[in-house]
Amino acid sequence: MTDERTRSKEALDISPRENPDAPILLCDGRGLKRLIRFGLAWLERHQEAINALNVYPVPDGDTGTNMLLTMQSAYQEIHDSPEEEVGVIAQKVAHGALMGARGNSGVILSQIFRGFARSLEKVQAFDTVQFAAALREAATTAYKGVIKPVEGTILTVARELAEASVTAAASSQDLRYVLEHVVHAAQESVARTPTLLPVLAEAGVVDAGGQGLLVILEGMLRYAKGEPVSIDSELAAAVDLHALHPEGEEGYGYDIQFIVHGEGLQVEEIRETIASMGDCALVVGDSRAVKVHVHSPEPGTPINYGTSLGSLSRVIVENMQEQYQDFILSKAQRPTVPAEPLSGIGTVVVAPGPGLTKVFESLGASAVVSGGQTMNPSTESILNAIESIASDEVIVLPNNKNIVLAAQQAQTLSAKRVEVVRTVTVPQGISALLSLNYQADLATNARVMTEAAKVVETVEITQAIRSVQIDGVSVEEGEFIGLVNGKLRVRGDSPNQTTISALRETDAKAYEIITVYYGESISPEEAEQLADQIEKQFPEQEVEVVDGGQPHYYYILSVE
Amino acid sequence: MEQTTLGKVEVSLTAIAHLVSQAVVECYGVVGMANKDLASGIVQILQPASHPRGVDIEIEDDCITIDLYVVIEYGTRIATVARNVQDVVKYTVEKALGVQVVAVNVHVQDLRISID
Repeated sequence: MTDERTRSKEALDISPRENPDAPILLCDGRGLKRLIRFGLAWLERHQEAINALNVYPVPDGDTGTNMLLTMQSAYQEIHDSPEEEVGVIAQKVAHGALMGARGNSGVILSQIFRGFARSLEKVQAFDTVQFAAALREAATTAYKGVIKPVEGTILTVARELAEASVTAAASSQDLRYVLEHVVHAAQESVARTPTLLPVLAEAGVVDAGGQGLLVILEGMLRYAKGEPVSIDSELAAAVDLHALHPEGEEGYGYDIQFIVHGEGLQVEEIRETIASMGDCALVVGDSRAVKVHVHSPEPGTPINYGTSLGSLSRVIVENMQEQYQDFILSKAQRPTVPAEPLSGIGTVVVAPGPGLTKVFESLGASAVVSGGQTMNPSTESILNAIESIASDEVIVLPNNKNIVLAAQQAQTLSAKRVEVVRTVTVPQGISALLSLNYQADLATNARVMTEAAKVVETVEITQAIRSVQIDGVSVEEGEFIGLVNGKLRVRGDSPNQTTISALRETDAKAYEIITVYYGESISPEEAEQLADQIEKQFPEQEVEVVDGGQPHYYYILSVE
Repeated sequence: MEQTTLGKVEVSLTAIAHLVSQAVVECYGVVGMANKDLASGIVQILQPASHPRGVDIEIEDDCITIDLYVVIEYGTRIATVARNVQDVVKYTVEKALGVQVVAVNVHVQDLRISID
């Protein structure tokens, strides 16, 4: 047993994707962190479907959102923690969930984590027996928080899955096996909720909170099995919610919701009529007010029907094609359709400004994260971009020295194989991206790209924000300054004149192409003037002018 | 409270208090109800049968204002629990009586520590 536990540490360190069949005997803090992240990501995907199930205790359709916000707050506490002790991570998760608890389901979820963490106190890494004990404690703690526990809710699901985990842990030391049984038990438990809570049966739904807990666990199981949680069409089609199929097979029509107020409304009759008008019909309420939700290619039909019954309120009509696209796009930080990767290797690039973003996209970057000087993107946004692309192997180009760290953190957090090529300027990033070889493997590409980044010289023109003396150059606040390869080299009275002096500091005459990316505060005419001046000074070199649209830097030039 | 062609329907304050206390004890995070009488300064945790005594109802022009005196589980987010209680009570009363609830005031009288 002891031997196996020592060995099992390796089992977790190996990304499950590489060896999905090896048993997972122990889970340490890093393992739990990934489990939580996968649970969160999977919940995020099912948020709307869970919202649509919400009829108890108040049918306000926010259970999915509340659970998601609670999970996000929990993950926020651990996302940059390098902690390896699982007890400490569990404690942080519980704290984050408590602080961010939203809604009834969020409070219950926070209590579940609280019990889970309490059971794992001082535990370095849990095995199956400890995992089951923690799930038991989680359920017990959750039940303590209410005078009259209502069965057929998330509480029931938490209890029944914990019971299943104890049985499973008694027969296996493989955490994935136990988690599989837990998810299976949770599925059955959720399916039973309408038999326990009449209000669910009336509405023809399963309990939203229970479904939310199930979805979180399903996400965790996906991690254990080495399956991705990022968006792809195959997965979207496989989404299975007991009552609803939000990504319906018949393409994307409109999502229509409204509440009818009237006298003597016949809920059954309304439900049947609405169901005949489209998919995913959900009709709940009583004789005075009925909430209607349906997906239909014809938004007018159900709304007209509604107005024939009484007065309507909270009418929402949304184009689901747009929703679906927004949903995918929101993963990539900015509106770009994730490009089909040309090779197995995807690239995530950080770029300031719309023009430079376009440049990177045209060069084949899989995802562009907006960011640069004084607007560092978060580790999370880089991580989201990494997860959003279809490749399992990803190269990240931070393109700024202040972003390298965030990129490296994203690297450690991702379950994918990620290499960070430490580009510190935009031209270095462009040069690196151009040298990506689709035939070569990840490590080779990382090396080649690092080399490529070195052979380009970068000139950046900006304004001094304070008076300073660096590297033998003294500048006054507000003066224009030229940085060559990141070092302050020249000062000047205008952006164009400073650019020329800075270029003289490079080996420009030995290179072939000078590319000028002009920033948001420079007009195309000014940029053309500069290009003319450069051509006079460097007649042998070819000059290209590109609208970079970057803030802070008047010009960024690459010399190669 | 409601005039029908057959006569008057009246719902007593005690009945409403019962309805409310039933809803409150199903609210997650609420682990007890307390005596609303603060004159003594002593918080008295109520037995389940006396839960309606932790509810104070005022009716004016067919609008209801409800004051609740509750004990909440230590370690939950009290603000969120109280907010949930407000939502559930408002929804339950409006659904059952068809009368508008203008305010649900939640008074957290004590916390219970059920686990260390």
